[in-house]
Amino acid sequence: MGFFDSISDMLEAALPWSTAEAEAPKEEETKDEESSDKSEEEGSEEKEEEPEEEEEEEEELEDPKEKFEEECKESKACAPAKHHFDECVERVTSADHGKPVDKKHPDEDCVEEFFHLAHCASTCAAPKLWNALK
Amino acid sequence: MLARSALRSSRTLGAARNGAVHTSKRAASSSSSSADASPFRLNMAGTAATAVAIGSLAWYYHLYGTELHAMTMTEEGLHATKYPWVHKEYTKTFDHQALRRGFQVYREVCSSCHSLSRIPYRSLVGVTHTVDEAKAMAEENEYDSEPNDEGEIEKRPGKLSDYLPNPYKNDEAARAANNGALPPDLSLMVKARHGGCDYIFSLLTGYPEEPPPGVKLPDGLNFNPYFPGTGIAMARVLYNELVEYEDGTPATTSQMAKDVVEFLNWSAEPEMDQRKKMGMKVLVIGTALFALSVWVKRYKWSPIKTRKIAYNPPIQGGKH
Ligand code: HEC
Repeated sequence: MGFFDSISDMLEAALPWSTAEAEAPKEEETKDEESSDKSEEEGSEEKEEEPEEEEEEEEELEDPKEKFEEECKESKACAPAKHHFDECVERVTSADHGKPVDKKHPDEDCVEEFFHLAHCASTCAAPKLWNALK
Repeated sequence: MLARSALRSSRTLGAARNGAVHTSKRAASSSSSSADASPFRLNMAGTAATAVAIGSLAWYYHLYGTELHAMTMTEEGLHATKYPWVHKEYTKTFDHQALRRGFQVYREVCSSCHSLSRIPYRSLVGVTHTVDEAKAMAEENEYDSEPNDEGEIEKRPGKLSDYLPNPYKNDEAARAANNGALPPDLSLMVKARHGGCDYIFSLLTGYPEEPPPGVKLPDGLNFNPYFPGTGIAMARVLYNELVEYEDGTPATTSQMAKDVVEFLNWSAEPEMDQRKKMGMKVLVIGTALFALSVWVKRYKWSPIKTRKIAYNPPIQGGKH
């Protein structure tokens, strides 16, 4: 191991790019006894990187997934699924309110219609959501 | 079995028809017109046999060919949507900032019900936390120490080598506290479920405001389309701004879910970053060695490839 480590160390020093730093500062600390001040430094560094994100913060946070999926449900691509779901909701809820129950499907639920709609909406929202999240 | 025998029978039928064509040709050429070998009848027989063969195949397909769905859609659950996880790409590592946030979500939300029994504090060092942070977290818990001189087991503060504490003493206690449902250990959850990250993300964020009409669930179960059967004992746990991220990321439901899922992916395969790096090394060294071997081969073969074989026929007979 030692041999290869020294080679890769030399390579790292010579290469124009550096390796990802997720671990490196912490490793140094493992060796360092008085590292408390260092971790503080690190914390402040992290904070410096962030402020751009905070602008977006509003009073009430809105979940981007919900927002995109609502938009997607109204989109043209999901219109058939939405239509079927709405129709089912109509049918099932009206059956509860004294209307004659559909003889063929007495215990109908709208799970399948819900699945189709949810599938359509979440597939459509997935890439947008990933752009919005960190 | 049936399919094979059906195939075989159709093949023999085909052979028989070929034979029939031959015999009819031969009959025609020898111009001996006998009634029973009339081409029309033979063609009819062949056509009928082929029709029977096709019919039997169709019947077989009708009986056994179509896929059977023993489960209804509800029992199957909604298949998780595919999300473009960055850490799943071949050349990408975990986002360690996300891991740190995800651990925070696990610690502040999930850990009150779910254990993470395969993760010791030491493995967080250099991944999500510094040594001192990890030590401080470990010390917040008490663990059994070695028996003292009287054989009593005392408590001691945790060390880096200790594992994350379980929320319950044992599975029975966990069940009793959760309406009979056992919150499973999350260490390997990403590997333990179809759809992995996508499934858990969808599960955590997929609770609709109200179940679709007509759904009847037993008491204590919550509607979640992604859970097979749609009735899950875990209620929705993530709500906007449930945790406050130290790096200022807006803590929306989906952000927390994404972070905690990435963290759970790390806990299920902590070696992933290293494994991908090793894979790249293998490819790089492998291609280099391959190129080298091609050159060596050319070098070794060059005398053989460039030699010229000449044949000078001996002069035969005397001069004319
Ligand atoms: C109030 C306690 C509680 C909390 C908090 C909680 N869970 Fe659960 N969880 C449960 C229970 C109970 C089950 C078992 C559900 C069942 O089998 O119906 C469960 C099941 C699960 C499952 C397995 C689902 C399956 O397919 O079997 C996952 C994954 C999960 N929880 C993730 C999480 C995550 C991630 C968090 C934190 C964000 C969390 N849970 C927070 C109680 C909880």
